[in-house]
Amino acid sequence: CNDFLKEEVFSQLAPENYLKTKEGLTSVLYETYAKAANMNGNNSIYVLGPQEFVTDILYQSGDNVEATIRNYRDFNWDPNMDFLIQNWDSYYQCVRNANILLENIPGSNLSAAEKTLYEAEARFLRAVSYYKLYFFFGTVPLRTSSSQGLSLPRASEDELKQFIAAELKFSLENLPNPGAEAQKYRAHKAAASGYLIKFYLNTKNWNEASTVSAQFLSSFKTYSLFATYKDMFKVDNENNNEYIWVRPAIASSDRVTANSWSNVSFPDNFKSAPEVGLVFKSTWLNWPNEFRIYDKFYDTFEAADKRRELMITYYINASDQRVELRGSDNIRSFKYWPDPNNVGAAHGNDIPEIRLADILLSRAEALNELNGPSTEALQLVNQVRTRAGLPGLKLENVATKEAFRDMILLERGHEFFNEGHRRMDLIRTGKFISDAQARGKNAQPFQLVFPIPQVVIDSDPVIQQNPNY
Amino acid sequence: QDVITGKVIDAKTREPLPGATVIVQGTNLATTTDSEGTYRLTVSSPNGKITVSYVGFLAKTIDLANQKKIDVELEPNISMLEDVVVIGYGTAKKSDITGSVASLTEKSFNKGVNVSAEQLIAGKVSGVQIIQNSGEPGGGITVNIRGMGSLNAGNSPLYVVDGFPIDNSTTVSGTGANFTGMRTARNPLNSINPADIASIEVLKDASATAIYGSRGANGVVLITTKRGKEGGLKVNYDTYYGVQNVMNDIDLLSANDYKAVMNSLIDAGAGSANLKIGEFSGGTDWLKRMYHKNAPIKSHNLSFSGGNQSTKYYTSLNYFDQDGLLINSSNKRYSARVNLEHTNKNFTVGTNITSSYVADSYVANGFDLNERAGIIYAAIAYEPTLSIYDQDNNYVLSKNMNIDNPLAIANGKTSTSDLYRTLGNVYGEVKFLTDFSARLNLGADITSQRRDTYVDRQTIEGRANGGIASVLTGTNNSFLSELTLNYKKRFGNQDLNVLFGTTAQQFNANDLTSQGSGFPSDATKTDNLSLGDPTRFIATSSRSRNSLLSYLGRVNYNIAEKYLLTGSLRIDGSSRFGENNKYGVFPSFAFAWRLENEEFIKNAEYITALKLRSSWGQTGNQAIDNYQSLTTYTTGQKAVIGSQQVSTTTPNRVPNPNLKWETSEQLNFGLDFGLWGNRITGSLDWYTKTTRDMLLNLPIPRTTGFTTMMTNIGSVRNSGFEVLINSNNLSGPLSWETTLNMTWMNNKVLNLGGIDNIFTGSAGGTANVAIIKVGLPMYAFYGYTIDGVWQTGDDFTATKDNVKPGDFKYRDLNGDKIVNADDRQVIGNPFPKFMASLTNNFTYKGFNLNVFFDGAWGAKMLNNNLVDTYFPANLLRNRLSEPLLNRWTPSNPSAVYPSFVNPLGQGKKEVNTYTVESADFLRLNTVKLGYDFSIKNSAVKGVGVFVTAQNLAMWTKYKGYDPSINPNGGGVRIDWNAFPTARTILFGLNLNL
Repeated sequence: CNDFLKEEVFSQLAPENYLKTKEGLTSVLYETYAKAANMNGNNSIYVLGPQEFVTDILYQSGDNVEATIRNYRDFNWDPNMDFLIQNWDSYYQCVRNANILLENIPGSNLSAAEKTLYEAEARFLRAVSYYKLYFFFGTVPLRTSSSQGLSLPRASEDELKQFIAAELKFSLENLPNPGAEAQKYRAHKAAASGYLIKFYLNTKNWNEASTVSAQFLSSFKTYSLFATYKDMFKVDNENNNEYIWVRPAIASSDRVTANSWSNVSFPDNFKSAPEVGLVFKSTWLNWPNEFRIYDKFYDTFEAADKRRELMITYYINASDQRVELRGSDNIRSFKYWPDPNNVGAAHGNDIPEIRLADILLSRAEALNELNGPSTEALQLVNQVRTRAGLPGLKLENVATKEAFRDMILLERGHEFFNEGHRRMDLIRTGKFISDAQARGKNAQPFQLVFPIPQVVIDSDPVIQQNPNY
Repeated sequence: QDVITGKVIDAKTREPLPGATVIVQGTNLATTTDSEGTYRLTVSSPNGKITVSYVGFLAKTIDLANQKKIDVELEPNISMLEDVVVIGYGTAKKSDITGSVASLTEKSFNKGVNVSAEQLIAGKVSGVQIIQNSGEPGGGITVNIRGMGSLNAGNSPLYVVDGFPIDNSTTVSGTGANFTGMRTARNPLNSINPADIASIEVLKDASATAIYGSRGANGVVLITTKRGKEGGLKVNYDTYYGVQNVMNDIDLLSANDYKAVMNSLIDAGAGSANLKIGEFSGGTDWLKRMYHKNAPIKSHNLSFSGGNQSTKYYTSLNYFDQDGLLINSSNKRYSARVNLEHTNKNFTVGTNITSSYVADSYVANGFDLNERAGIIYAAIAYEPTLSIYDQDNNYVLSKNMNIDNPLAIANGKTSTSDLYRTLGNVYGEVKFLTDFSARLNLGADITSQRRDTYVDRQTIEGRANGGIASVLTGTNNSFLSELTLNYKKRFGNQDLNVLFGTTAQQFNANDLTSQGSGFPSDATKTDNLSLGDPTRFIATSSRSRNSLLSYLGRVNYNIAEKYLLTGSLRIDGSSRFGENNKYGVFPSFAFAWRLENEEFIKNAEYITALKLRSSWGQTGNQAIDNYQSLTTYTTGQKAVIGSQQVSTTTPNRVPNPNLKWETSEQLNFGLDFGLWGNRITGSLDWYTKTTRDMLLNLPIPRTTGFTTMMTNIGSVRNSGFEVLINSNNLSGPLSWETTLNMTWMNNKVLNLGGIDNIFTGSAGGTANVAIIKVGLPMYAFYGYTIDGVWQTGDDFTATKDNVKPGDFKYRDLNGDKIVNADDRQVIGNPFPKFMASLTNNFTYKGFNLNVFFDGAWGAKMLNNNLVDTYFPANLLRNRLSEPLLNRWTPSNPSAVYPSFVNPLGQGKKEVNTYTVESADFLRLNTVKLGYDFSIKNSAVKGVGVFVTAQNLAMWTKYKGYDPSINPNGGGVRIDWNAFPTARTILFGLNLNL
């Protein structure tokens, strides 16, 4: 009789045997990658967006999300805002999977080499998740095993920072060299090194940032700046030598790995943009949700700057009228050039997280902070400027550390707009709050971190909210 | 001494009543009528009274008043106190019932269009709320018996058809890719032909439901189909034809008003001047274009029945065909039934089998927005100034909003479903050792469904994807095996009835969904998926099973027809629960006292029947998904590895080996009465039902990577008072009978296991509509209070928010001069506090008239179309007209409606006292006028014609289609893009041969 009541599982897998096999562990590892990439639905833009809505680059209006995004733009942040949880859950799911992998790898049928590799990948993805959580929310609970109690308070600042650095170092040692990974989009040493550089940079550990970036440039020589900035972000050029680590996208009707950027960049009734040679295709979608670049940001570009060519200042609408965008804070960026093989709202443009230009400018910034302007630092910046079609900076024109810091910040803005780096760049250079205040926002110093989502605190009252939220 | 003679006949059929009792009051004088219905009686006084009674008829008392010949017409006893009522695993005389059981027979069923069994009794049973989710033909229905007691384990009652507890879940729940569907699927009970139903019993209290153990907590609905009766062949043919139109339309801005309002809003600063609306020609009333005017509805029902002493048969055929009020939607049913029973001395064998085919056609409409929206959403938002087609005869696309042309959606997105269901059981019963009987009941319920959805190139999404085809298939089946043993014995004036039984039931489900896109042409639709782009195929499948194994027992003990005792016990094992809690025990006790049989009452002439009832019991609820107590790995989020998407697996949940059923404990006190020879009968019931160990998706720390864990925690209490009164106001040539049902209900969350509150409910961009919190009713609406509109002379230092005259004045509850999430409060209850219905039946000669009113008071509903009006996604979307035509302007400083110049200026506070509207209503639900021809011809036994009007009038302040619906389904009441409700006129014919 008890057999009659035994719950038979047909369509799902029981963990006991499944996690002992390579197939099972690989399948869970793949989801760990998906959670780290966080590209489900519109997460492509809502992970990237909060890093720029709060800065001088762009704002959003139109459609149901406007009310939410207005809160980001106006520094009117509260723990119930949308897009906070999108920047929380996926990373803790990544951590959950990584912990399960790390606990099951030792008892599995993987070979010794595979065990080392899978462990390094799991620890890399877990470290990247904590990296993202830390710079978004401040310290967060540090869950490193499935057997920890359900409730878990926030870790100390030191604990979390040491964990991220140590895990990235472990990954750097144990991951394969770039190009030697089993498949594209799986982790490699350069990615771990890149994150380590960015981690040291954003925690203002200039010494380590300088050391690791020097190691990067001497170890991973396969990377080079892509010649034509304008074409780098197109789906066709995803295999370029500049991308070090990306959030991969593939257009599909389920939109689980989608880049949604194009849908929010077309202005109303868009037909064509002669400036960039873009003609609307009937299979593309033009959402009422619109991401708009501030005129002021556009005006900071030098006229010769080729990077500006990814933005349009006017367009031809469906009634063949010319509509100006510049002058009303309505410039559009087509950095993620629409995918000719899109599927509905899903476009396949990978979103770069770390590319060589970032390593170069990060190293330049670390060197400047350590020793002030130097030939080496300027040479790094000038590599990036040259590719953009701009003249190199000269040491005699860069008077002080502060002046050079400002120049690097400006350069980073021009190089990385719409790649989600602006918020951290402004925070690191101490301008995030003052810059927002200068734009008329009621920004306060406590807003260097976002509030922890209210549902997270509701789910575990031992988690303390960030001050003043 | 006088001799009185006369004839006793049935007032309805005019047939004589042989064996009727005639008593002279205050004496021992009595006689019975002979086979012709005549009687002869000698009385001592010419001025006494005689009482004439007959089983199943209302007794009648007549003044002799010196008459010598007194013919008596007896009215059938409508309250049927002596009728046999179906209870769980058996039957009982109505007068012996100790629990709270509502019993309705064909006669008192709702008149008019009834697609499914629940509609037969909607509004007719106190304590039962039956909400049509929308006006969709064959649409889903939410039934709550004595309130809602569960957050996660379902609140639907258990349906038992001829002793077979059916699985009433949907077979195919998806709608197909890029096809917006209603939140609730069409009703699975549609496959049972309502015309085959003889009676429906609703078991309400624990004494009645505990015999169904872990499935009894939400009440039980017993459906009994028609049987043949002794006698020759009876042929019955019923048909009707009707037309449906929108009962209550919603008013949008007309093209001219739209132009004037939008241009004036733009002048006031709501948008840039280039958005201004210029000259237009014609325009389109989009909503009207979505309606199917005079949508037809037709039904044919043919049955044959009859039998002799040993064998009885009933068989029927049914065809039902309803077109929806929205174009391209319909529901058709073809069904057949055979019920047979053969009795041979001590042995009875029988079968009930029905088989049906339901063909559904759907139009894309439901809870989605923008380019994914359905037709009502699109038709509301689309500019009324546009024409339908452009100069190239293509559907016009709005340049101001990302919404497809409403007609393109209606015609370019097609979806149909074919559902086949066979439900049948075979039973045998043996009587032995005089007092014992044993019954074996075996049954099966098998449903298979296929749904085909295609999105073609007339639509934006179809063009973008090269056509999208989805084929969804599924099979649900359930098998039952049941053995019961009955012992029935009379000891002097005591009756003992004991039931034992064991039953096992297994439920299996599987489904397969395939999807393709990128077709070379729209011509093949879903009929050749292999023509699609091979890289875009998606296929999914699943299979699941759950089982119940149960032991049950019941004792009924009747002492001198005065004291009735019932005790029952069920032990239920369910596969759904954790290893540590497989079996649950569900006891109940009831006691009833038939006061009418006590000497001290017998003298009260006006009391014909009086019974006090009390019961206590525990029932369970196990209606959760399978596998909730286990950890399993299932399909995870796809990753990009190499140059492609790869499938992954993910851990499903945190396991809970202690998971068990919810337990509902219910206490009921009731009173049944019959006055003046049962001219007035009725029942009063008071109950309190506490559900504890609720199956709750308890939020767990999200740092685990999970959000919830199914846990037994928390409790909810439902209590209420129910009144049923039935009165025969007039008998004779003009008869008038009234039935009144009243229900007072109260729902309260008692405990949430330490969670402060749970927010739930969403529609489009509106989220966190309702709150679940200790001390409040479940799913209470939670939002902002609007105190009118800011006026020019107001003190603007009272707020730090950026407000201007003409903006909403939200109440700042905490006085911090900022209105934010902390200023929300409870602004409404989703459950009515009071529900009532009133049915009046009149007959005069061949005419009969049935008038049915119903209403509900105290409930609210979020009107999300009003949210779209007050907080539009962009300026140029059309909206409900009243707020805009009466909006605040400097020259018309409205205290009610805002200026609409900057609707998002204070953020989007969607859930507020404007959008959460009162859903109070009083409805003239049904009026049916019929005429039965008196036929002398022997070949035809009866011919009747009727005309029925449904939803004739609705009195309400609600601004949507219908305050009585709930398009969201479940507990959170949200109306958004509802399928409109129909006003229906039917013409019908009954023919008896």
